[in-house]
Amino acid sequence: MDATLREALAARFPAVDLDQDVLLVPAADHYPLAALLKEQGYTLYVTVAASHHPGPEGDAFEVATVLRRPVRGAPSVAWRVVLGADPHLQSLYPLFPGADLQEREQLDLVGVRFDGHPNPVRLMLSEDWVGHPLRKDYAPNMPHAPWR
Amino acid sequence: MAVDQTNLSYEHPLYATMDKMPGITVATTTVDMLLTWGLKNSLWTFAMATSCCGIEFMHANGNRTDLDQMGSVPRPSPRHADVMVMAGTITVKMAPRILRLWEQMPEPKWCIAMGSCAISGDFYRDMYSVVPGIDTMIPVDVYIPGCPPNGDDLMAGLKRLQEKVEAQRAGRWVEPEGRPETAKAILPALGRVIDRDGTQTERQLRACQSMGLDGNEHRQSDLVAKSAGLLSNLLKLKGR
Repeated sequence: MDATLREALAARFPAVDLDQDVLLVPAADHYPLAALLKEQGYTLYVTVAASHHPGPEGDAFEVATVLRRPVRGAPSVAWRVVLGADPHLQSLYPLFPGADLQEREQLDLVGVRFDGHPNPVRLMLSEDWVGHPLRKDYAPNMPHAPWR
Repeated sequence: MAVDQTNLSYEHPLYATMDKMPGITVATTTVDMLLTWGLKNSLWTFAMATSCCGIEFMHANGNRTDLDQMGSVPRPSPRHADVMVMAGTITVKMAPRILRLWEQMPEPKWCIAMGSCAISGDFYRDMYSVVPGIDTMIPVDVYIPGCPPNGDDLMAGLKRLQEKVEAQRAGRWVEPEGRPETAKAILPALGRVIDRDGTQTERQLRACQSMGLDGNEHRQSDLVAKSAGLLSNLLKLKGR
């Protein structure tokens, strides 16, 4: 993370600890952070990855997003957002149209909804699939597959 | 006309007709042979190629193992084809589409399960999104094991299918091919819910119990131990 970006981030998001490799930001700052990074030249949407963390106090979900500059050798910036039992997050589609399929994949497999996504339907599994297979409590022997 | 009833075979309707109308015996047999010859030497294939076995199928139609020399021409449409070569993994999303393509093929039609994924799902068998074998949906005539089987194996499988077609047309009983995997029990796919070392969380146990399982179904070692114990008991009894 170079100095100018660090200054801009510190001015805009004072509560975020910028010394972490993967920044932990509140869900409300997800979209503004992406917008700021896009202004700073981080125009390449690398990936979004959601994960499910069941615990004794309930479900938690974590959505990690990675952006980088489209320059050889440029460092990437990654941040994560922790969500509760009903996970939903603002879609980055208005900023990065490449987020379309990636956010649909997370919706399909983990069940994180992205508000403002233009086409929030399943990407990989069939349209009538029940459940989200990459959740830790997903049971493969579900009645939707008669050969199981 | 004295007919020896013991050796008559009525598997094919032509033979019943021949028995009733002795005058056309020679002619119908010859035409039948001609039809059989034509059918078995023009098994046009429809490549239901879903993954890497499909690449091997393309290679088998290339010039090294030239399937054209057996009259087997790949067709792009199921409506032109006699044989569906199921080459690759069958996902749950693809399965209804495969079934529909199979129903679009005109009779008579045959199915070849090419490769271990099409036979049993192989190492994707326990996955939530994979159908464990094409024979859960479609009757399979020839199994070609391998991962992937090469062009020579596909040729050998087509040759077996030709022999089968010939025998069927002649009214002989053809023993159905066994699934090479039948010896293995297909255990419920719980590997992702339960840890392999047997420790499971309360939540995972509840997920299993909600399906009417006790969460121990995946432990093949337990099954093996139990059956080994039974076997030793039987041997002891026999010794006594």
